[in-house]
Amino acid sequence: MTDGPLIVQSDKTILLEVDHELATEARHAIAAFAELERAPEHMHSYRLTPLGLWNARAAGLDAEQVLDTLLKYSRFPVPHALLIDIEETMSRYGRLRLEKDAQHGLVMRTDDYPVLEEVIRAKKIAPLLGPRIDGETVVVHSSQRGQLKQLLLKLGWPAEDLAGYVDGQPHLIMLDESGWQLRPYQKLATENFWAGGSGVVVLPCGAGKTLVGAAAMATSSTTTLILVTNTVSARQWKDELLKRTSLTEDEIGEYSGAVKEVRPVTIATYQVLTTKRGGLYPHLELVDGHDWGLIIYDEVHLLPAPIFRMTADLQARRRLGLTATLVREDGREGEVFSLIGPKRYDAPWKDIEAQGYIAPADCVEVRVDLPRDERVAYAMADDADKYRLCATSETKTKLVEELVAVHKGEQLLVIGQYIDQLDEIAERLDAPLIKGETTVKARQKLFDAFRKGEIHTLVVSKVANFSIDLPEASVAIQVSGSFGSRQEEAQRLGRLLRPKQDGRAARFYSLVARDTLDQDFAAKRQRFLAEQGYAYRIMDAKDVGKDVGQEQ
Amino acid sequence: MSLIRALSKELEARSDNSLRALFAARPDLISPMAPDFAALAARASARVSVQRALERLNKPEMQVLETLHLCTNADTGHSISAAGLKKVIAGSTLSALDPILAKLQELALIHRAEPPAGSPVTSSRQRFYLPVGSLKDVIGIYPAGLGRSYTELVRLQPAFAQRVVHLVAELHQSGAGIHPASTPMDAALALQRWTSTPDNLRAILATAPERTIGLLDKFGSWAMGAVPQAQRRASVTHESHDVGPIDWLLARGLLVPLDAGHVELPHSVGLALRGGAIVDDFTLAPPVPELGHTSAALRRNAAMGAIAEILRLTGELLFAVREQPLATLRSGGVGVRELRRLAESIRLGAHETAVLLELCAMAGLLRLDVDSSTWVQPPSLEWLNLPRQEQWLWLVNAWLASERAPSLVGQPLTGPTGSAAHQGAAGTTINALSAEAQRPDAPVVRRRILEILHELTVEAAAPDGKAPVLDARAVLQRAEWAQPRMSRRFSSLVRGILEEATLLGLIGSGALTQLGTAIAAAQPEQAMTILGEHLPAAVNHILLQADLTAVAPGYLAPELSETLLLMADAEGQGPASIYRFSAATIRRALDAGQDAESLLAFLREHSATEVPQPLAYLVQDTASRHGRLRVGTSASFIQSDDETAITDLLLEARTSSLSLVRIAPTVLTSSASPRETARVLRELGLSPAVQEAEPAVVRFKRTTAVPGSARPVYTAPRTAPPDDDVEAQLSVLRQHRGVPAEAAGEASTQLGLETLQTAIRLKQAVTMNVVDSLGNSNTETVVPVSVSGGRVRVFDPAKDTERVLSIHRIIDVEPAGELRS
Repeated sequence: MTDGPLIVQSDKTILLEVDHELATEARHAIAAFAELERAPEHMHSYRLTPLGLWNARAAGLDAEQVLDTLLKYSRFPVPHALLIDIEETMSRYGRLRLEKDAQHGLVMRTDDYPVLEEVIRAKKIAPLLGPRIDGETVVVHSSQRGQLKQLLLKLGWPAEDLAGYVDGQPHLIMLDESGWQLRPYQKLATENFWAGGSGVVVLPCGAGKTLVGAAAMATSSTTTLILVTNTVSARQWKDELLKRTSLTEDEIGEYSGAVKEVRPVTIATYQVLTTKRGGLYPHLELVDGHDWGLIIYDEVHLLPAPIFRMTADLQARRRLGLTATLVREDGREGEVFSLIGPKRYDAPWKDIEAQGYIAPADCVEVRVDLPRDERVAYAMADDADKYRLCATSETKTKLVEELVAVHKGEQLLVIGQYIDQLDEIAERLDAPLIKGETTVKARQKLFDAFRKGEIHTLVVSKVANFSIDLPEASVAIQVSGSFGSRQEEAQRLGRLLRPKQDGRAARFYSLVARDTLDQDFAAKRQRFLAEQGYAYRIMDAKDVGKDVGQEQ
Repeated sequence: MSLIRALSKELEARSDNSLRALFAARPDLISPMAPDFAALAARASARVSVQRALERLNKPEMQVLETLHLCTNADTGHSISAAGLKKVIAGSTLSALDPILAKLQELALIHRAEPPAGSPVTSSRQRFYLPVGSLKDVIGIYPAGLGRSYTELVRLQPAFAQRVVHLVAELHQSGAGIHPASTPMDAALALQRWTSTPDNLRAILATAPERTIGLLDKFGSWAMGAVPQAQRRASVTHESHDVGPIDWLLARGLLVPLDAGHVELPHSVGLALRGGAIVDDFTLAPPVPELGHTSAALRRNAAMGAIAEILRLTGELLFAVREQPLATLRSGGVGVRELRRLAESIRLGAHETAVLLELCAMAGLLRLDVDSSTWVQPPSLEWLNLPRQEQWLWLVNAWLASERAPSLVGQPLTGPTGSAAHQGAAGTTINALSAEAQRPDAPVVRRRILEILHELTVEAAAPDGKAPVLDARAVLQRAEWAQPRMSRRFSSLVRGILEEATLLGLIGSGALTQLGTAIAAAQPEQAMTILGEHLPAAVNHILLQADLTAVAPGYLAPELSETLLLMADAEGQGPASIYRFSAATIRRALDAGQDAESLLAFLREHSATEVPQPLAYLVQDTASRHGRLRVGTSASFIQSDDETAITDLLLEARTSSLSLVRIAPTVLTSSASPRETARVLRELGLSPAVQEAEPAVVRFKRTTAVPGSARPVYTAPRTAPPDDDVEAQLSVLRQHRGVPAEAAGEASTQLGLETLQTAIRLKQAVTMNVVDSLGNSNTETVVPVSVSGGRVRVFDPAKDTERVLSIHRIIDVEPAGELRS
C-alpha cells in the first residue's frame, strides 16, 4: 500500500489528512466526485453519494478514473464493496439520454434496452412519453423534459440531457474589467458552466459568486432573468452589475413586491414569483412569457418548492445555479441536480482561503452564568419559554457592552433573534437597530453609513441573515439565534468572511448561557463551525477582557 | 453365488497394494477393523458405505456405474463388458472406459463376473462385471436419470394399468402403428415396441404440437417432472387442433401420470430421446467455466481490506459483548432484537453482525455461560494479545473446522424434510448461534470448495497481473462434475461459504487470493508470512480536532482504543476509527474513576497534535461539575443539629466499632446497622431515635467462572486412514488366509439381507429360523415382500396372511428352493 493522504472508510466517507504532503493533490483529485462534508483542522472528510458520482460523470469522469484515484491516494486497502458500489452507481448515469431528433423532436434514447423497458413501465413516467420509435428510442413530450428528468433521478437512472438549449433573445453584455479582474477560479467556473450547458457553481461565501453570474451573462450575451432571495439582495446584484459590466441602469429591471420592471436583464425575487393569488401564480408569466437566454438562480440551497416546479418547465433554457453549499436542510439536492443541473464547479474552500480571497474567521463562544433569579425562572419555565429566557439573559447585555468596549473602533455587528433584547442593547450602546419593520430605504441608508465607517456599531435582527454585504464588519456578536440551524450559522459568518483590507481575522462571538438549552444549541453550532474549519474557542465571561487585552 | 461371497473372494485374491488403495479410498471399511474378508465384503456392500463411496465419484464414473447397473442383472447372471458399455455410452471409447472400470472395481463397487450365458466365445477374453448388491438401493429408481419401463409402470401404477389397454386401443384406431392388446402387460409391451427406437419416436413426434420437444428436453436429466393435474383425461380421439404438449404426450402414453401432480417419462422414451444411448453426454474432461478477470492489485486490495476490517470488527464486537453480554432465547440462539442491539452498537447491518457473531463463537472468542444463559467473552482471552496475522489464522482455522453455517442465520426456518408438521410458524427465521444453523458436513464442503477454487484458478491460467474471478455458479458447476452425488449439499452452502471466505480475505475481488491459495494448499505458515508483510502496523497516536473528535489514522493499538472508547463514542466504519467526545462520554470516563487531569494527560500523550481548546474546556468543565451530588453506601446514619455532639461522637473511642464517617457538619454515617448503632449510642448514655427504613437490598454481582479459550487447531477433514491402521488391518485379514469365508459374524447379517432381497426381487419363498418373544425358535417358510427400517414384511402362504417380523429376530435365512434341493 502507498502511504497516501486518504483513508477510505467503508461507510462511504473519505478522510483526508490535511498535513500530508500529497494532501493538495489528492484534494483536487477527489473534489470532482466527493462532497466535502467536514473540514476540521487535521482530517477533512468527504462523502461519496450517488449525486456526487453522477456529477462526476456529467463532468466527464468515468468509474475507472475514480477508482484509480482512490487506490492511488489511499493509505490502506479500499473496501472492495465500496469500489463495486461506485462502479455500479456511476454506470447508471447516461444510460438514458435526452436528445433532439431531427424528425421526432425531443426523444429519450438508450443503448441499454432493458433500462428503457424498465423506466417506460414506471407508472409515473408513462404519461410523459410519446410513441415508441424503435427498441431504443421513445418520444418525450417536450413540456415534460424537466419532470421526466426529476422522475428518472428518483428511479436511479439519471438521464444525460443532450437536447440543447434555445438561444434566447440576444443582448450584448460585456464585462468591464477596469481596475479589477476576474479571478482564475471564477473564470474556470464560468467556462465549466458554459461547456456543460446548465448546472450549479459552488463557491464559499465571499468568493464572488455574483461575478461568476456576470461572466456567464457576458458569455451568453442574451437577455437574462436573475432570481434572488430578497429585495436587498436584488439591489446588490444591480449595483454589482452596473459596476462590473457594460450594462446601464436602463437595461436592468427589478421585479419585486414594490417595482415590476421587465428589462433585458431582470432581477426578480423568489417571493414575488411564489406569491399565489386564487390558486394561481400571477407572476409566472415573467418566467415563461419571455425569451430568456439565461436564468440565474442565486442561493440555490434556498430555492422554494414552487420555483422548482416552474423550473421544470424551463428545461430548454440555460440555467446557472449559484450557492455556497449543495446541502439543503430539506434534502432536495436531487431536484437541484435534475432540474438546474449537475455541479459544474466546486472550489475547495481551503484553496480559496489560502489564495487570500476570503478571510479566516476566529470564533469564540463566551459562556455566561445566569444570575440566581434567572436560573430559578428558567428552571420553572414552560418548555416553550425556556429558550427565550436563557437566550435573553440580562448578563448578556452587559457582556455585549464589555465586548463593544474591547473592540472599540472596529466595525461591529450585534445579531439577535429577540426584538426586546435587541431594543435594549441598541439603546444601551446607542447604536441604530435594523429589524423587520425598518424600511428598505432606511436599511440601505444605515448599511451605506456602516460601510463608509460613519457608524461603527449596528444591531440587526434576523433580517440580516441573507445576502447583504457588510464588507467591513470585522466583529460580530451573536446574542441569540434561532435554534442552531446550520444554514443560518454559515450565513452569519458569511457576513464577516469578506476580505478585510488589512488582512485581519474577523472575530465572531456567540454568547451562551451556561447549563441551559442555549448551551445545547451552541454545541451544535460549535460542531458545525469546527467542521467548516473555523478556529473555535470557548471561554468564560469573566475572562473576556483578559483575552482580548493580551492580543491587542 | 451370492454377490457378497463373490466380492469376498475377489478381495481376498487382491494384492496388498490394491487393498491399501481400497482402504485409502473407503476408510469406513476398516473402522473398526474387519475380522475377515467376508466381513469386509459385507461392509463394502452395505448401503451406507456404498453411499459414501458414490459421493466421491465424478460424473463420468457415476455415468459408467449407473449404466453398468442398468445393463446388468445379478439374478440372471447377466454381466457386461467394457465393449458392451461402449455401445450404450455415446462418445465413449474403450481406453476411456477401462480405467474407470478398473477404478470402480478397485473401490469394490463392481466386481468381475462370468460372461452371461450364451455370449459368443470371443467375449471370453473380455472382462465382465457386475455391481455390488446394494447399488440399486443407493442409486434410486431413476438410474442415469431414465424412467422405469412400461411393464414396470403397469405393475406399480394401478391407475395406469387400468387405462393402458384403452389408450393403446385408441392409438391403434387413430392410425398409429401400434398393435392392440388385451391385457395391461401386453399393452405395455406394445407401447415399449412402439417407442423403442429413435427413428420410431421421431416419427411419432413429427405431428406433435410445438413446444413439445422443448418440454421433453426438460426430462433430459431426470425422468420425473411436476405437472398440474397430471391425471387429467387426455385422449387421442377427442383431440382438438390446439392441443397442448402435455395433453398430447399423456394421450399417447409418452408421459405416464404417477399421482395428481407428477408424471414420468418411461424408460424406452427417454432412451430413444437420447438417441438410443443411456448416456449421451459422456466426457472425461471437466467443463471449463467462462471466467472474468480481475487485477492482482485489486485482489490484494480487497483481501487486505477485508482482513483489516474483520479483525477490527471482531475486536469491536468483543468489546460490545464485554460491556453487555448477549442474552439467549429460551429456545436457544440469540434473538433478533438482541442481535439488532448488538448490530447497532457496532454500527453494522444485522446480517453482517450475525455472520461475525457466528465467526466469533466458532473461534471460541465467545462462550455460552450456562449459569446466566448469556454469551460472554471468556476472561483472559489469548486472542486479544496476539499479533494480527495470528488472530487472522485463528479465525480461519476455526472457520475451516466449524460445523456451523453462519450464512443460514436469518433464512426461513424449514423442517428437515420440508413437511408441514416440522415447518416453523410463518416468518420464523433461523436465529444466530442457534442449533438450526448447525451443518455437520460444513467442514468437508468448505474444504472441497477451497480445493475447487484452487483447481479452477490453476486451470484458468490467467494472464500476468490478472486473476480469474470465480463465482458460485462456476464452483457449483465444477462440484456437479467432480462429485455429482455431493453437489446438492454444496448448493445450499456454497454462496455462504464464498461470502465468508471473502470476509476472511481468502477471496478478494472475486478471485482466490494468495492467502486463499496457501490455505487451500494447507500451508498456513506461508499465509502468515504474506499477511505479516502486507498488514499495516498499528498506529499509536490520534489526531484531536476542535469539532470534538479524535481520529486514529489507521488501526489503533487495542489498549489505546479501549481507553479512548471509555471517554468517547466510536463513529463511522472503516480502516480509520473516529471517536466523538461529548459531555456524556466524558462523564462516563469520570464515573469510571478518571479525573480531568488524567484524561487530558492521556490525550496529550497520545495525540500527534495539540489538544484543541474546546476539548480541554469540555473535559475541565464537565469534571468541575461532576460529583455535585454524591452517592455512597452506609448502613445507618446519625444526624444531630448539635455540631459539637457530632464532633464528640467522632472522637469517642468506644464508637470505633461503628467506623463513623463525617459527611456533613451535622451528619455521620456508619457501616453498622441502625440497631447496632443505636445500641452503642445508648451505651454512651445517649438516647437516639431510630428511624425505621426499608432494609436496603444488596445485590452482589455474581462472578461466574467461564472456561478460557484455546487456540483452534485445524486439521483437514480426514480423507485417508492412518498408515498404521491400514497395515494392521492387512495383517489381520491375511492371517485368515486359507480359512474358508464362513457366513459368520457381521457378514452373516448382510448375507441374510441379500438373500431376502434376492427373494423379494424373484418373488421366491425363503425358509427362516425366527426367535419369538419367549426365546423359542421356529422354522417357517414365507415369501418376503419388502425390507425396510429393520423389519421385513412377509407373506405366509400357509396362513394366507401378511406379517411383519423384526430382522433381529431372524437367526438364519435360506432360499426355500435350496433347502428343497
